[in-house]
Amino acid sequence: MPDRTAFGAYREQVRPEWLDYNGHLNDASYAIVLTRAHELLLEDLGLSAAYRESHGASMFTVEMHLRYLAEVSAGQTLTAATTLVEADRKRLRLHSELYADGVLAATGECLYLHVDTAAGRTVPLPDDRQARVDALRDAHAELARPAHLGLGVGVRP
Amino acid sequence: MTETPGRITTPHEGRLASTWDDAATIDAPLRLHETTAPPEWMDYNDHMSESCFLLAFGDSADAFFRFIGVDEAYRAAGHSLYTSQTHLHHRQEVALGEPLVMTLQLLDLDRRRLHLYHEMRHGETDALIAMAEQLLVHVDTEAGRSVDMPQDLYAHVSAIRQAHAALPQPAVVGHPIAIRHSN
Repeated sequence: MPDRTAFGAYREQVRPEWLDYNGHLNDASYAIVLTRAHELLLEDLGLSAAYRESHGASMFTVEMHLRYLAEVSAGQTLTAATTLVEADRKRLRLHSELYADGVLAATGECLYLHVDTAAGRTVPLPDDRQARVDALRDAHAELARPAHLGLGVGVRP
Repeated sequence: MTETPGRITTPHEGRLASTWDDAATIDAPLRLHETTAPPEWMDYNDHMSESCFLLAFGDSADAFFRFIGVDEAYRAAGHSLYTSQTHLHHRQEVALGEPLVMTLQLLDLDRRRLHLYHEMRHGETDALIAMAEQLLVHVDTEAGRSVDMPQDLYAHVSAIRQAHAALPQPAVVGHPIAIRHSN
């Protein structure tokens, strides 16, 4: 049974090549950080690069929603708290809070499809992987859902 | 400006903002940036990495900033447009060397915020590859808070919004991420 806490394996220093002209983490680099944090959770579920090799299938990102909350600078330590929000036979939805030196710097949400890489179409997860996904989803079911989940982008009064 | 080796740059960096012409026709949507997928954007699978889609959309946004009057000099004077949110939609993969054309539509605005919609299409087939929605906020960079745009900048974006008012609302706009169940 997985932990009933958010997944927190990700931890690394901000890399110089992720910074922009003013020494802050570039917009696109938040996506790199989010992807790297989520990759660790996918690895934990047996759905990372090794799975692609062994099964000819992979998790494809179809949507990503980032909310930028604070600037991040060189030398800071990045961590993440990731929740498996929702899943079915072919889809996973992950949400992360990204922290820099313990301060919430961004949130990121991704929708993944399980794709047969040769056929180029979605296929159901194999039973053993589905069992791991379901176990993590159940473990995360009681975790608080942030208020911004389920909101799109827009100019709100 | 001191050059930091290895940092992220944009192809429009250092280019002065264009001189705004009130009489000029504004394209709907705007087409301000195109590129060719470079080797450094490829992942181990020889497809473009997810974050590089955002780099490409960011470059298009940077071209947009210079179109409306936000360049290095504008930023140095203490104001900038910061990205508050980005929502990416991926439709197709991109291989090395493929030509990419970006379009930009201004969906909505108020005195401090801009809601943008980007599309990335294949330069030869016109196939839709990816879309991005972005919310930008005009900030006082010294005070670190949002402030109204100056009148001339607001006039420019208002003129663009007017030119884009007749464009159809893209289907993905305003939808949150969700697993939508068919039954």
